[in-house]
Amino acid sequence: MIQFKNIIKSFGPKTVLQDVSFDVPKGSVFFIIGASGVGKSVLIKHLVGLLYPDSGEIWLDGQEISRFDEAQMGPVRRKCAMVFQHSTLFDSMTCAENVALPLRKHKNLSLKAALAEARQRLEIVRMEEFADRYPPELGDGMRKRVAIARALTVDPTYVLFDEPTTSLDPVSARRVDVLIRELSDKLGVTSIVVSHDLTSIFSIADRIVMLYRGKVRLQGSREDFKNTPDGVVQQFITGRATGPFEL
Amino acid sequence: MSNVAAPGPESQRHSHETIEHPYEDLGAVGMLGAAAIDLMVGGRELYSVFVRTLYYVARGKREKGALARQMYEMGNRSVFFLSVTMGFLGMILVYQAGLQAKRVVPDYTLLGATYLELLVRDFAASLGALMLATRVGAGIAAEIGSMVVTEQIDALRMCAADPIDFLIKPRFLASIVMTMVLVIWAGTIAFVAGAFTAYFAFDVPLQTFFNHQLVDFGDLAVGLTKCLAYGAAIPIVSGYCGLSTFGGSEGVGWATTRAVVNTSLAIIILNFFISGAGFLIFPG
Ligand SMILES: Nc1ncnc2c1ncn2[C@@H]1O[C@H](COP(=O)(O)OP(=O)(O)OP(=O)(O)O)[C@@H](O)[C@H]1O
Ligand SMILES: [Mg+2]
Repeated sequence: MIQFKNIIKSFGPKTVLQDVSFDVPKGSVFFIIGASGVGKSVLIKHLVGLLYPDSGEIWLDGQEISRFDEAQMGPVRRKCAMVFQHSTLFDSMTCAENVALPLRKHKNLSLKAALAEARQRLEIVRMEEFADRYPPELGDGMRKRVAIARALTVDPTYVLFDEPTTSLDPVSARRVDVLIRELSDKLGVTSIVVSHDLTSIFSIADRIVMLYRGKVRLQGSREDFKNTPDGVVQQFITGRATGPFEL
Repeated sequence: MSNVAAPGPESQRHSHETIEHPYEDLGAVGMLGAAAIDLMVGGRELYSVFVRTLYYVARGKREKGALARQMYEMGNRSVFFLSVTMGFLGMILVYQAGLQAKRVVPDYTLLGATYLELLVRDFAASLGALMLATRVGAGIAAEIGSMVVTEQIDALRMCAADPIDFLIKPRFLASIVMTMVLVIWAGTIAFVAGAFTAYFAFDVPLQTFFNHQLVDFGDLAVGLTKCLAYGAAIPIVSGYCGLSTFGGSEGVGWATTRAVVNTSLAIIILNFFISGAGFLIFPG
């Protein structure tokens, strides 16, 4: 169970998150949606100590973690893996080495054992033939798959996906959806997915929260979102160009 | 200031607040104070990077191949540049010294010996390190800075790999070794270039020029201490500049410039203190 309580975060004079609160139930597929620049990436980085809130609390399985230092964040980062928005693989390492790194650091595996397991993990995302290639040689979609494999290697209980289907072709995108759904249904993994992809949202989301101008605009199930009278939400989920929605 | 030194809630609370309008509305005194605080915070973070690097070096776990690759890159990237600049500097120094000597005492017998002492005690290490600061320092800052802006540093932290351990430590060790090697090499080039200049410009025989009677243990100790200190300072200062990058590719440009300026400054300050200590401990 993850709880964000009254999170406020500013960068200089600019307040990005103004009092954001919501709960993520365990085992669910939880979507965070909202316009570009609203602070979705900023929000999920708070959960793993890559950013710290100006005020507010973050509870993870009964622990308040928003004031943890780097050492205390270690176990949190093992429990909550993250797939970054731009994949962010390490350019100087092969794909297999990228996937092996969390195994070596989080689980203290030897290089050889980690690389062997990394190859297996790459097979799951159908990237085994690129195991010895360097990320800059690959396309965006391929890098994203490797990044997903890297995040899943340490068998996290929570996975934060930052726009996992952006820059993927439709088939790969739906495969990622299936993967996320299966992680939840078969392994009980909780996924927090930041996404603009309406197809993903309305096919796999258990719960959705929408951020709008630094605040939570609406949270609920897919049906709640489809049936809401709120014009702003309606415009966003139907993708119309005109309406009450302001950036 | 950013939170490179000890990422944590306290250090981040005030991060980014000074980015856009650094010392807005502070007045002259306030601005001076803010700059001083910035400098102190920067110094503390720099110190912390240094201490943590030493900690990881002492702990002794090595990434296989990382050290060798860094050494190769540093050496390869700098050896030509360093040879050329130090060769020319050597020629200019000896030529100028020869001209001065001609005016005062038209005797060149000790030209080579004094030049060698000067090289060993100071010039080889200091000039060589200043060259390396532009080359190696800029490279380190640019590489780490672009890893910051592309979130690779965040990804490292997510993988439980401390950027200091993973990125700074191999560069630190490689730089200490390679600075030593490159400075000795560059010093040799500068000396040989000087010898030929003296031979062609002032007819000083090479046997006369190649004279090491003035170089004693003190000169060697001071010279090697400088190599060690500069070799350590370059990756720490430029790595710190890289890690504190913010704001896109423009930020990487800033970090690189800052790295070159600050490493050069560090080298000159270290030179002052080590030379001072050297004259106290090994007078003459
Ligand atoms: N380190 C930072 N320093 C200053 N401002 C930042 C920083 N990180 C994010 N911001 C600002 O915070 C705001 C929210 O950024 P964020 O990346 O969370 O948006 P997002 O909702 O993920 O958008 P997108 O869908 O485009 O990824 C942006 O306006 C951005 O400029
Ligand atoms: Mg984002």
